[in-house]
Amino acid sequence: MPLLDIEDLHVQVEDQVILGGVHLTVAPGEVHAVMGPNGSGKSTLANVVAGRPGYEVLRGTVRLAGEDITHASPEERALLGLFLAFQYPIEIPGVSNMEFLKAAIDSHALARGEGAPSAAAFIRRARATAERLGLDAGFLKRGVNEGFSGGEKKRNEILQMLLLEPRIAILDETDSGLDVDAMQVVAAGVNDFRDNGNAVVLVTHYQRLLDYIVPDHVHVLAGGNIIRSGDRSLAQTLDRDGYGWIEDAC
Amino acid sequence: MPASAQGPQAVEALYARLLGKGTVSYAPAIDRDAARTRIAADGLPVARAEAWKYSNVGKWYQAALEPVQAPGVRETCVPGGVDLHRFDDPAAAPLLTKHLGTAIDLARHPLAAVNRILLGSGVVVRVPAGCRIDEPVNVDDIGAAYEHILLIVEPGAELALVETPIAATHRVVECIVAEGARLTHRRVQPRGQAPQCGLIAAKVEQQAHYSLWLAARGTELRRNDIHIALAGRGAETHLHGAWRLGEREHLDNQVTVDHLAPDCLSRQTFRGVVGGRARAVLNGRIHIAAGAQASDASLTTKSLLESTDAEVYAKPELEIYANDVRCSHGATVGALDEAMLFYCESRGIDRDAARGLLLRGFLREAIVGEEAIGVLAAGFSGADGSLGATLAGDVASAGGEVQ
Repeated sequence: MPLLDIEDLHVQVEDQVILGGVHLTVAPGEVHAVMGPNGSGKSTLANVVAGRPGYEVLRGTVRLAGEDITHASPEERALLGLFLAFQYPIEIPGVSNMEFLKAAIDSHALARGEGAPSAAAFIRRARATAERLGLDAGFLKRGVNEGFSGGEKKRNEILQMLLLEPRIAILDETDSGLDVDAMQVVAAGVNDFRDNGNAVVLVTHYQRLLDYIVPDHVHVLAGGNIIRSGDRSLAQTLDRDGYGWIEDAC
Repeated sequence: MPASAQGPQAVEALYARLLGKGTVSYAPAIDRDAARTRIAADGLPVARAEAWKYSNVGKWYQAALEPVQAPGVRETCVPGGVDLHRFDDPAAAPLLTKHLGTAIDLARHPLAAVNRILLGSGVVVRVPAGCRIDEPVNVDDIGAAYEHILLIVEPGAELALVETPIAATHRVVECIVAEGARLTHRRVQPRGQAPQCGLIAAKVEQQAHYSLWLAARGTELRRNDIHIALAGRGAETHLHGAWRLGEREHLDNQVTVDHLAPDCLSRQTFRGVVGGRARAVLNGRIHIAAGAQASDASLTTKSLLESTDAEVYAKPELEIYANDVRCSHGATVGALDEAMLFYCESRGIDRDAARGLLLRGFLREAIVGEEAIGVLAAGFSGADGSLGATLAGDVASAGGEVQ
């Protein structure tokens, strides 16, 4: 059974149709890259799958491990194992990263019918994971994304992903604003995360992230539809030729 | 006195009571006549007065005539090294003669004059010069509807006060913070029923430091007048307030910081969450006197509205008579940020818990530090607990609407 199954998805934002019948099937163990020019609907796809308010699904379905989540709340989707790494992570002043993560992890534990982990166990794990991403211990005490650099925000998204262990992670332009060093750290985190039971969808404008996280499938989204799918070489073609040929083809 | 005086009758009855002699049996060494003279000359505030535009003082007059029966004395925890005397204790007399009322301008605070005339209980707390007290002094109820707590922190001394004016119809907390002294004042105001007004007045001398941490719910009518005079060079004050109101709760905070000497610093940070049909007021006045050069003053107040019927009035006022000052103020009123809520929900945190988390983050912009949070949160419990839970981090019970 696919982990993520998007079928004929039509989405409108403020009276404008952004997605016009997207199909995408992601099996366990796979990494998919969704690429496309600016304004092609990439972020809309990522956000609508995560249940962000403001997106109206006109037609189609989204299934997570067989369960229809087209109209589920963002929280239900998260608890079923969906994770969205935000393109622009949100700042929450006054709430520490630690308490935010603990609240999220406790919710997941509760949803699985388990007890919340002890504070000590949680802190140990959070610190070790942060360290793997090159984030010092003080990072966990700071307000969520408050005053973080662009790179820190993106690493924080990966930290959350590693701690929440989703079944499917959608990374929305996680590479944007990262220098090469930070991108390698982020990529190492994603590669550590990958296993045969989960899957990753990388939404990106550039192919450079794909040098570090090798996708099994590459899709080109343009004009609200996936107009071409292929293997890794498609990304390299895009990198070489740009998106101009697609716009001509549309 | 009429059994249920209303409107003008209540005011007349109150005047008769205030200006008639010998109505109060409590007899400490205080001068009630100066207050009577003040009331006789200036009168009581009227409902249409600018200073009372947000709070119906008439409701308080009715309550003032028939004050809630105060419970017995519950002042607690007086650490060693601190002198504490009831006002009617002969040992208090010299302190009262020297200090009582020196931080209070009765012309500006007519209800403090009412308090003086009807005063039923008072305590004076003195920390001797150079004495640093680590344990806080706790003062809850001191057994009367009209109360006065006089704190004298002598030069170089340090003290923390925690007070909860539960049953007082009117409480005055008067703080004399002498040269180089430090006073940390934590006020907890749980939800109440009866109308309640009060005055916190502090006179902060050279290089002295006064900080206020206020966590409050409302009552049918609750007004806090807070008047800080930075009276000596280099004095400093930090005022922090957080409130969470629901239903028809009313909380009116009228704050004045007077910069009277050069090189003084004041910081005011207030955060309020207001739902139901509640009303919250923050009137924050910064006054910089002529000659108070190099004053550094700021005030920020932010409010979150949780319902369409809630009301927030945020009014910073600057009045500056010196030419070398730094002054800033900011006021915002808004709702919880949907993007923040979505971010939390996308991590599996349910909407109520997310709201609790965000509200706590918001209030903690004003109430920072584990110690302050602990002391203030502990003052709220049971059905009244949402503010405490929000501060303390019990997100499961903090997110819901204030009941």
